[in-house]
Amino acid sequence: MKLQEIINKLTLNVLTVVEDKDITGVFISDMLSDVMSNAQSGNLWITVQSHKNIVSAANLIDISAVIVTYNKKVPEDTIELANRYHVVILSSPLATFELASRLVEAGIK
Amino acid sequence: MRQQGIAIEKIRDALKASVFAGEVLEGEYITDIYASDLMSDVLAFGKAGSLLLTGLNTIQAAISAYVAEFKGIIILRNKMPDTEILTFAKEKHLFVLSTDADMYEACVKIANIKGEVPVIENITETTKKPGIITTHTFFIDGQDFASAGIVSTQVKSILKSIGYDSLLIRRVAISTYEAEMNVVMHAKRADVFLSASDKEIGVIINDEGKGIENIELAMKEGYSTATEEQRAMGFGAGMGLPNIKKNSDVFKIESKINKGTFIEIIFYVK
Repeated sequence: MKLQEIINKLTLNVLTVVEDKDITGVFISDMLSDVMSNAQSGNLWITVQSHKNIVSAANLIDISAVIVTYNKKVPEDTIELANRYHVVILSSPLATFELASRLVEAGIK
Repeated sequence: MRQQGIAIEKIRDALKASVFAGEVLEGEYITDIYASDLMSDVLAFGKAGSLLLTGLNTIQAAISAYVAEFKGIIILRNKMPDTEILTFAKEKHLFVLSTDADMYEACVKIANIKGEVPVIENITETTKKPGIITTHTFFIDGQDFASAGIVSTQVKSILKSIGYDSLLIRRVAISTYEAEMNVVMHAKRADVFLSASDKEIGVIINDEGKGIENIELAMKEGYSTATEEQRAMGFGAGMGLPNIKKNSDVFKIESKINKGTFIEIIFYVK
Protein backbone atom coordinates (compact mmCIF):
# COMPACT_ATOMS: atom_id res chain seq x y z
CA MET A 1 0.00 0.00 0.00
CA LYS A 2 1.18 3.53 -0.70
CA LEU A 3 1.69 6.24 1.90
CA GLN A 4 -0.72 8.69 0.29
CA GLU A 5 -3.47 6.06 0.37
CA ILE A 6 -3.00 5.60 4.11
CA ILE A 7 -2.99 9.35 4.72
CA ASN A 8 -6.32 9.57 2.88
CA LYS A 9 -7.92 6.47 4.42
CA LEU A 10 -7.06 7.48 7.99
CA THR A 11 -7.30 11.25 7.48
CA LEU A 12 -3.92 11.84 9.04
CA ASN A 13 -2.64 15.39 9.49
CA VAL A 14 0.27 16.14 7.20
CA LEU A 15 2.96 18.30 8.81
CA THR A 16 5.71 18.12 6.21
CA VAL A 17 6.14 17.71 2.48
CA VAL A 18 4.97 14.24 1.47
CA GLU A 19 6.81 11.95 -0.88
CA ASP A 20 4.72 8.95 -1.77
CA LYS A 21 6.28 5.59 -1.03
CA ASP A 22 5.46 1.95 -0.45
CA ILE A 23 4.68 0.98 3.12
CA THR A 24 6.40 -2.21 4.24
CA GLY A 25 4.80 -2.49 7.65
CA VAL A 26 4.29 -0.71 10.96
CA PHE A 27 6.63 -0.24 13.91
CA ILE A 28 5.45 1.10 17.24
CA SER A 29 7.94 2.28 19.83
CA ASP A 30 8.93 5.34 21.85
CA MET A 31 12.49 4.20 22.48
CA LEU A 32 14.95 5.31 19.82
CA SER A 33 17.46 2.48 20.15
CA ASP A 34 14.58 0.07 19.75
CA VAL A 35 13.49 1.73 16.50
CA MET A 36 17.07 1.92 15.20
CA SER A 37 17.57 -1.71 15.89
CA ASN A 38 14.29 -3.30 14.86
CA ALA A 39 12.25 -1.12 12.53
CA GLN A 40 12.53 -2.00 8.85
CA SER A 41 13.15 0.27 5.91
CA GLY A 42 9.82 1.52 4.55
CA ASN A 43 7.96 1.05 7.84
CA LEU A 44 5.49 3.51 9.30
CA TRP A 45 6.78 4.50 12.72
CA ILE A 46 4.13 5.32 15.32
CA THR A 47 5.33 7.20 18.38
CA VAL A 48 4.52 9.89 20.95
CA GLN A 49 8.02 11.33 20.66
CA SER A 50 8.11 14.56 18.68
CA HIS A 51 11.54 16.05 19.36
CA LYS A 52 14.12 16.68 16.65
CA ASN A 53 15.93 13.41 17.14
CA ILE A 54 13.08 11.40 15.66
CA VAL A 55 14.08 12.93 12.32
CA SER A 56 17.64 11.55 12.38
CA ALA A 57 16.43 8.19 13.59
CA ALA A 58 13.75 7.98 10.89
CA ASN A 59 16.17 9.13 8.20
CA LEU A 60 18.95 6.73 9.13
CA ILE A 61 16.84 3.63 8.74
CA ASP A 62 14.62 4.88 5.92
CA ILE A 63 11.30 5.02 7.73
CA SER A 64 8.57 5.96 5.22
CA ALA A 65 6.75 8.23 7.68
CA VAL A 66 6.52 9.04 11.38
CA ILE A 67 3.02 9.26 12.85
CA VAL A 68 2.80 11.16 16.13
CA THR A 69 -0.27 10.16 18.09
CA TYR A 70 -2.48 11.73 20.82
CA ASN A 71 -2.29 15.00 18.89
CA LYS A 72 1.05 15.65 20.57
CA LYS A 73 2.41 18.98 19.38
CA VAL A 74 5.32 18.63 16.98
CA PRO A 75 7.75 21.55 17.41
CA GLU A 76 8.75 23.76 14.49
CA ASP A 77 12.39 22.70 14.58
CA THR A 78 11.40 19.06 14.15
CA ILE A 79 9.30 19.91 11.08
CA GLU A 80 12.05 22.10 9.64
CA LEU A 81 14.65 19.37 10.04
CA ALA A 82 12.23 16.79 8.65
CA ASN A 83 11.66 18.80 5.50
CA ARG A 84 15.39 19.26 5.10
CA TYR A 85 16.00 15.52 5.25
CA HIS A 86 12.85 14.49 3.37
CA VAL A 87 11.36 12.75 6.40
CA VAL A 88 7.56 12.66 6.40
CA ILE A 89 5.87 13.58 9.69
CA LEU A 90 2.18 12.98 10.16
CA SER A 91 -0.01 13.38 13.19
CA SER A 92 -3.21 11.87 14.52
CA PRO A 93 -5.55 12.71 17.39
CA LEU A 94 -6.03 9.01 18.03
CA ALA A 95 -4.40 6.95 20.74
CA THR A 96 -1.65 4.64 19.49
CA PHE A 97 -3.69 1.46 19.92
CA GLU A 98 -6.67 2.95 18.08
CA LEU A 99 -4.51 4.11 15.22
CA ALA A 100 -2.91 0.69 14.96
CA SER A 101 -6.36 -0.98 14.82
CA ARG A 102 -7.42 1.38 12.02
CA LEU A 103 -4.26 0.53 10.09
CA VAL A 104 -5.02 -3.17 10.44
CA GLU A 105 -8.57 -2.53 9.22
CA ALA A 106 -7.17 -0.62 6.27
CA GLY A 107 -5.23 -3.71 5.32
CA ILE A 108 -1.68 -3.04 6.52
CA LYS A 109 0.07 -6.12 7.82
CA MET B 1 56.50 -3.52 -5.34
CA ARG B 2 59.88 -1.81 -4.96
CA GLN B 3 60.18 1.56 -3.29
CA GLN B 4 62.98 3.64 -1.96
CA GLY B 5 63.04 4.02 1.78
CA ILE B 6 64.81 5.76 4.61
CA ALA B 7 65.79 3.90 7.76
CA ILE B 8 63.98 5.25 10.81
CA GLU B 9 67.27 4.82 12.69
CA LYS B 10 68.90 7.33 10.36
CA ILE B 11 66.08 9.80 10.90
CA ARG B 12 66.39 9.38 14.65
CA ASP B 13 70.10 10.11 14.44
CA ALA B 14 69.73 13.04 12.06
CA LEU B 15 67.15 14.69 14.32
CA LYS B 16 68.77 13.56 17.57
CA ALA B 17 65.29 12.34 18.39
CA SER B 18 64.11 10.47 21.48
CA VAL B 19 62.15 7.30 20.85
CA PHE B 20 59.06 6.98 22.99
CA ALA B 21 57.33 4.07 21.34
CA GLY B 22 58.58 1.40 19.00
CA GLU B 23 60.73 -1.42 20.33
CA VAL B 24 63.06 -2.14 17.44
CA LEU B 25 64.11 0.54 15.01
CA GLU B 26 66.66 -1.60 13.25
CA GLY B 27 65.47 -2.73 9.88
CA GLU B 28 62.51 -0.39 9.88
CA TYR B 29 62.03 1.87 6.90
CA ILE B 30 59.62 4.51 5.83
CA THR B 31 58.87 5.41 2.26
CA ASP B 32 57.61 8.93 2.71
CA ILE B 33 57.49 11.83 5.14
CA TYR B 34 54.29 13.76 5.61
CA ALA B 35 54.82 17.10 7.29
CA SER B 36 51.59 18.67 8.50
CA ASP B 37 49.56 19.87 11.45
CA LEU B 38 46.25 19.39 9.68
CA MET B 39 44.97 15.89 10.28
CA SER B 40 42.29 16.00 7.58
CA ASP B 41 45.07 16.53 5.08
CA VAL B 42 46.97 13.58 6.53
CA LEU B 43 43.94 11.39 6.10
CA ALA B 44 43.25 12.66 2.61
CA PHE B 45 46.75 12.71 1.14
CA GLY B 46 49.09 10.68 3.34
CA LYS B 47 50.51 7.48 1.93
CA ALA B 48 50.77 4.19 3.79
CA GLY B 49 54.22 3.48 5.17
CA SER B 50 55.00 7.14 5.87
CA LEU B 51 56.19 8.94 8.96
CA LEU B 52 54.16 11.91 10.14
CA LEU B 53 56.13 15.00 11.02
CA THR B 54 53.97 17.23 13.16
CA GLY B 55 53.77 19.81 15.91
CA LEU B 56 50.42 18.41 16.97
CA ASN B 57 51.11 16.54 20.18
CA THR B 58 47.68 15.02 20.63
CA ILE B 59 45.95 11.69 20.32
CA GLN B 60 44.43 12.98 17.08
CA ALA B 61 47.86 12.89 15.45
CA ALA B 62 48.30 9.28 16.53
CA ILE B 63 44.83 8.26 15.37
CA SER B 64 45.29 9.98 12.02
CA ALA B 65 48.62 8.27 11.51
CA TYR B 66 47.01 4.94 12.35
CA VAL B 67 44.02 5.39 10.05
CA ALA B 68 46.29 6.56 7.22
CA GLU B 69 48.50 3.49 7.82
CA PHE B 70 51.63 5.44 8.64
CA LYS B 71 54.52 3.79 10.42
CA GLY B 72 54.65 6.42 13.11
CA ILE B 73 54.94 10.04 14.14
CA ILE B 74 57.68 12.51 14.98
CA ILE B 75 56.61 15.27 17.33
CA LEU B 76 58.42 18.55 16.93
CA ARG B 77 59.76 21.21 19.26
CA ASN B 78 60.53 18.89 22.14
CA LYS B 79 56.92 18.27 23.06
CA MET B 80 56.47 15.17 25.19
CA PRO B 81 53.78 12.70 24.09
CA ASP B 82 51.47 11.73 26.95
CA THR B 83 50.54 8.25 28.13
CA GLU B 84 47.31 8.21 26.12
CA ILE B 85 49.25 8.71 22.90
CA LEU B 86 51.90 6.17 23.86
CA THR B 87 49.42 3.50 24.92
CA PHE B 88 47.56 3.89 21.65
CA ALA B 89 50.80 3.91 19.64
CA LYS B 90 52.14 0.79 21.31
CA GLU B 91 48.93 -1.09 20.76
CA LYS B 92 48.78 -0.14 17.10
CA HIS B 93 52.54 -0.64 16.56
CA LEU B 94 53.25 2.98 15.67
CA PHE B 95 56.65 4.60 16.24
CA VAL B 96 56.63 7.78 18.31
CA LEU B 97 59.70 10.00 18.24
CA SER B 98 60.26 13.47 19.59
CA THR B 99 62.79 16.05 18.43
CA ASP B 100 63.61 19.58 19.48
CA ALA B 101 63.78 20.67 15.84
CA ASP B 102 60.99 22.70 14.32
CA MET B 103 59.23 21.70 11.10
CA TYR B 104 61.61 23.35 8.65
CA GLU B 105 64.73 22.25 10.49
CA ALA B 106 63.47 18.68 10.64
CA CYS B 107 62.70 18.63 6.92
CA VAL B 108 66.14 19.97 6.07
CA LYS B 109 67.88 17.42 8.28
CA ILE B 110 65.92 14.51 6.85
CA ALA B 111 66.49 15.70 3.29
CA ASN B 112 70.21 15.76 4.01
CA ILE B 113 70.43 12.18 5.19
CA LYS B 114 73.40 10.76 3.34
CA GLY B 115 74.31 7.27 2.62
CA GLU B 116 72.67 4.39 0.94
CA VAL B 117 69.01 4.66 0.19
CA PRO B 118 67.94 1.05 0.13
CA VAL B 119 65.41 -0.29 -2.26
CA ILE B 120 62.67 -2.06 -0.40
CA GLU B 121 61.02 -5.02 -1.97
CA ASN B 122 57.37 -5.78 -1.60
CA ILE B 123 56.84 -3.09 0.93
CA THR B 124 53.16 -2.87 0.18
CA GLU B 125 52.63 -6.63 0.05
CA THR B 126 52.06 -7.37 3.71
CA THR B 127 50.70 -3.99 4.59
CA LYS B 128 48.65 -3.80 1.47
CA LYS B 129 45.22 -2.63 2.27
CA PRO B 130 42.56 -1.91 -0.29
CA GLY B 131 42.49 1.54 -1.81
CA ILE B 132 41.03 4.09 0.54
CA ILE B 133 38.13 5.63 -1.29
CA THR B 134 37.55 8.41 1.19
CA THR B 135 38.16 9.59 4.73
CA HIS B 136 36.28 12.21 6.69
CA THR B 137 36.49 13.75 10.12
CA PHE B 138 33.61 15.09 12.16
CA PHE B 139 33.08 16.59 15.60
CA ILE B 140 30.32 15.98 18.08
CA ASP B 141 29.46 18.42 20.85
CA GLY B 142 28.40 16.73 24.03
CA GLN B 143 25.01 17.58 25.56
CA ASP B 144 23.94 19.15 22.25
CA PHE B 145 20.68 17.27 21.72
CA ALA B 146 19.62 19.72 19.05
CA SER B 147 22.34 18.55 16.68
CA ALA B 148 22.41 14.93 17.78
CA GLY B 149 22.31 12.63 14.80
CA ILE B 150 23.89 15.09 12.38
CA VAL B 151 27.18 13.20 12.12
CA SER B 152 25.59 9.79 11.49
CA THR B 153 23.32 11.42 8.92
CA GLN B 154 26.36 12.83 7.11
CA VAL B 155 28.10 9.47 7.29
CA LYS B 156 25.08 7.84 5.73
CA SER B 157 24.94 10.40 2.90
CA ILE B 158 28.62 9.90 2.14
CA LEU B 159 28.31 6.13 2.05
CA LYS B 160 25.17 6.37 -0.06
CA SER B 161 26.90 8.60 -2.59
CA ILE B 162 29.75 6.10 -2.88
CA GLY B 163 27.19 3.42 -3.59
CA TYR B 164 27.57 0.81 -0.86
CA ASP B 165 24.86 -1.79 -0.33
CA SER B 166 21.90 -0.35 1.55
CA LEU B 167 21.93 -3.01 4.26
CA LEU B 168 25.59 -2.30 4.93
CA ILE B 169 24.88 1.42 5.10
CA ARG B 170 22.08 0.75 7.56
CA ARG B 171 24.44 -1.16 9.88
CA VAL B 172 27.01 1.64 9.74
CA ALA B 173 24.33 4.30 10.24
CA ILE B 174 22.83 2.55 13.26
CA SER B 175 26.21 1.99 14.88
CA THR B 176 27.39 5.55 14.27
CA TYR B 177 24.10 6.95 15.54
CA GLU B 178 24.23 4.94 18.76
CA ALA B 179 27.83 6.01 19.33
CA GLU B 180 26.92 9.62 18.56
CA MET B 181 24.02 9.55 21.02
CA ASN B 182 26.29 8.12 23.69
CA VAL B 183 28.63 11.07 23.22
CA VAL B 184 25.78 13.58 23.38
CA MET B 185 24.31 11.96 26.48
CA HIS B 186 27.44 11.17 28.42
CA ALA B 187 30.51 13.04 27.14
CA LYS B 188 31.84 16.54 26.56
CA ARG B 189 32.84 16.22 22.90
CA ALA B 190 34.20 13.73 20.41
CA ASP B 191 36.14 13.36 17.18
CA VAL B 192 34.79 10.96 14.60
CA PHE B 193 36.92 9.46 11.82
CA LEU B 194 35.32 7.70 8.90
CA SER B 195 37.40 5.72 6.42
CA ALA B 196 35.81 3.85 3.58
CA SER B 197 37.41 1.53 1.07
CA ASP B 198 36.38 -1.21 -1.27
CA LYS B 199 37.06 -3.79 1.43
CA GLU B 200 35.90 -2.19 4.65
CA ILE B 201 34.35 0.81 6.35
CA GLY B 202 35.87 2.01 9.61
CA VAL B 203 34.45 4.45 12.14
CA ILE B 204 36.41 5.71 15.13
CA ILE B 205 34.65 7.72 17.84
CA ASN B 206 37.06 9.18 20.35
CA ASP B 207 35.42 11.17 23.11
CA GLU B 208 36.48 13.37 25.97
CA GLY B 209 34.29 12.85 29.01
CA LYS B 210 33.54 10.92 32.14
CA GLY B 211 34.38 7.55 30.62
CA ILE B 212 32.75 4.20 31.36
CA GLU B 213 33.22 2.74 34.82
CA ASN B 214 32.46 -0.85 33.91
CA ILE B 215 32.55 -1.73 30.23
CA GLU B 216 31.28 -5.27 30.76
CA LEU B 217 28.23 -3.89 32.53
CA ALA B 218 27.73 -1.22 29.89
CA MET B 219 27.67 -3.93 27.23
CA LYS B 220 24.74 -5.68 28.93
CA GLU B 221 21.42 -5.13 27.19
CA GLY B 222 19.18 -2.92 29.28
CA TYR B 223 21.92 -1.48 31.47
CA SER B 224 21.73 2.30 31.28
CA THR B 225 23.20 5.33 32.99
CA ALA B 226 20.89 7.79 31.25
CA THR B 227 19.09 10.51 33.20
CA GLU B 228 15.31 10.60 33.66
CA GLU B 229 15.12 13.46 31.20
CA GLN B 230 17.00 11.49 28.58
CA ARG B 231 14.78 8.46 29.09
CA ALA B 232 11.72 10.65 28.65
CA MET B 233 13.06 11.49 25.20
CA GLY B 234 13.25 7.82 24.35
CA PHE B 235 16.97 7.46 24.92
CA GLY B 236 18.74 5.39 27.51
CA ALA B 237 17.13 2.04 26.74
CA GLY B 238 20.50 0.51 27.49
CA MET B 239 20.82 -0.91 23.99
CA GLY B 240 23.39 1.47 22.51
CA LEU B 241 26.65 -0.45 22.89
CA PRO B 242 25.05 -3.87 22.35
CA ASN B 243 23.47 -2.49 19.14
CA ILE B 244 26.83 -1.31 17.88
CA LYS B 245 28.42 -4.67 18.58
CA LYS B 246 25.55 -6.51 16.93
CA ASN B 247 25.77 -4.46 13.76
CA SER B 248 29.53 -4.43 13.29
CA ASP B 249 32.13 -6.98 12.25
CA VAL B 250 34.84 -5.74 14.59
CA PHE B 251 34.10 -3.72 17.73
CA LYS B 252 36.80 -2.33 20.01
CA ILE B 253 36.16 -0.19 23.05
CA GLU B 254 38.48 1.35 25.61
CA SER B 255 37.71 3.81 28.33
CA LYS B 256 39.38 5.75 31.10
CA ILE B 257 37.45 7.37 33.95
CA ASN B 258 37.41 11.16 33.69
CA LYS B 259 39.30 10.98 30.43
CA GLY B 260 36.94 9.49 27.84
CA THR B 261 36.01 6.57 25.66
CA PHE B 262 37.50 5.30 22.42
CA ILE B 263 35.44 3.16 20.08
CA GLU B 264 36.61 1.62 16.80
CA ILE B 265 34.06 -0.13 14.58
CA ILE B 266 34.82 -1.99 11.37
CA PHE B 267 32.38 -3.25 8.74
CA TYR B 268 33.51 -5.60 5.98
CA VAL B 269 32.31 -4.87 2.49
CA LYS B 270 31.19 -8.03 0.77
